[in-house]
Amino acid sequence: MSRIGIFTRGLIKDNAVFVLMIGLCPALATSSTVRDGFGMGLAATFVLVLSNLIISLLRKNIPNEVRIPIFILIISTFVTIIDYMMQAFQPDLYRALGVFVPLIVVNCMILGRAEAFASKSSVIDSILDGLGTGFGFTLALTIMGTIREVLGNGTFLGMTVFGESFKNAPVIFMIMSPGAFLVIGILKALINKYVKKVSA
Amino acid sequence: MTSTRQMVVTLFVVAVTCGLVLSFVYAFTAPRIAATQAKLTMDGLEEVIDAHEFIAVVPDTLWRALDSSGNVLGVVFRVFPQGYAGPIPITVGLDEEQRITGIKVASAAEGLSETPGLGAKITGSDFTEQFKEKSVSEIDLEQDGGTIRAITAATISSRAVVVGVRKGIEMYSSCLPPACDPGIVFTEADRFSELIRDTLWMAMRDSDTLGIVFVGTVQGYLNDISFMVGYSREERIAGVTILYSQETEGIGEVIREKEFLDSFKAGIPEAISGATVSTKALIGGVTSGIERFKEYLK
Repeated sequence: MSRIGIFTRGLIKDNAVFVLMIGLCPALATSSTVRDGFGMGLAATFVLVLSNLIISLLRKNIPNEVRIPIFILIISTFVTIIDYMMQAFQPDLYRALGVFVPLIVVNCMILGRAEAFASKSSVIDSILDGLGTGFGFTLALTIMGTIREVLGNGTFLGMTVFGESFKNAPVIFMIMSPGAFLVIGILKALINKYVKKVSA
Repeated sequence: MTSTRQMVVTLFVVAVTCGLVLSFVYAFTAPRIAATQAKLTMDGLEEVIDAHEFIAVVPDTLWRALDSSGNVLGVVFRVFPQGYAGPIPITVGLDEEQRITGIKVASAAEGLSETPGLGAKITGSDFTEQFKEKSVSEIDLEQDGGTIRAITAATISSRAVVVGVRKGIEMYSSCLPPACDPGIVFTEADRFSELIRDTLWMAMRDSDTLGIVFVGTVQGYLNDISFMVGYSREERIAGVTILYSQETEGIGEVIREKEFLDSFKAGIPEAISGATVSTKALIGGVTSGIERFKEYLK
């Protein structure tokens, strides 16, 4: 696969959320606003790229039998780093994302890329793969966050859209848990119908 | 097949490296995190009462609000009543007449988990402004006979705020200056001269020194217990009162009961079974306070 192909694969064709359907828990739980979705996406991308990088560097030295604990150690180290960083520099976002920041450790998208790609590929390819998959995840969460925040709260990034009257009586249900399922289902259906045909 | 030794060594090296890296990151971010959190806890205090300075009485929970010349204007406290979806963080300002100067309900970004668009409307000024200048007897929902209009379709959240504010006032109003009056624990004295601000007073009558009154704090079962003790020259306890406590309802709160507090006058009492930790904490606090301050009587 070409380098460009490695990068773009995770964006749409193998999008973690909409196509592979992995990493769904944070995707559903932290996509109630644009800021939360985007912030969560970037945090996961940070962890994914760096863990891919380190695992790819160490791939020849990691004994096969203990590879999973080593992957988890490396991933959780980066998650803890982003956890501290966010607490120090983005406390509002940190509180909004809550427990889902430490839970990036168990996001199977990250362990999945470590196991399926980074442990077998060169460093450059692994970084590109991490960036592609991470941006695909960020894109998915941001799209969901946009739809849910605009319809459910009448705002985009906190700015009022559709005027005050809509903001005072929005489709509250979109910002709550059922809205997440509805949005992800509709987006998945659309992607199944259109995107797969293009790439096939 | 990899040898066991290789596995152990690799895992060990990776784990140690990760630990080292994290300790560096922690050392780098810890002061910043502490600063951000300190700012967050103090944030919003001046929104509920117009004061120059805040002095923490109980960390993160209770502050005394002072004006620029150091006079006490009132107190600010924080309560966390259980709402519909989780605890609701509320900051309340109380003036000397025990009237509310303002309340602030934390927004979703600050830790509120009420339903957006419904329960979360308790953060709005339409709701919170209703509490201004009211006293504890007026704080109730209109449908419960009070003066606060609940938010439509969010009665649980609205009622939680009302109950939280009311309970908070009941608990913390004793920390306002009139109730903090050392005269409560030393009735024979008619004049008190302050030796250590908010902590130690000489109890006087005419020109005689009768004893001392001091304030202390000990760790109870759930939270800090803050108390005031009067101690006479004759080495007798003149009175004990609780300024602040938040022990288990119905059990540890026995320390607030008059019967228990009065038993100090006859000498240091025994711990009460069922509330051993709370009563022992208070007894220990009173005893060590006396040890510490009795030299002022000489």
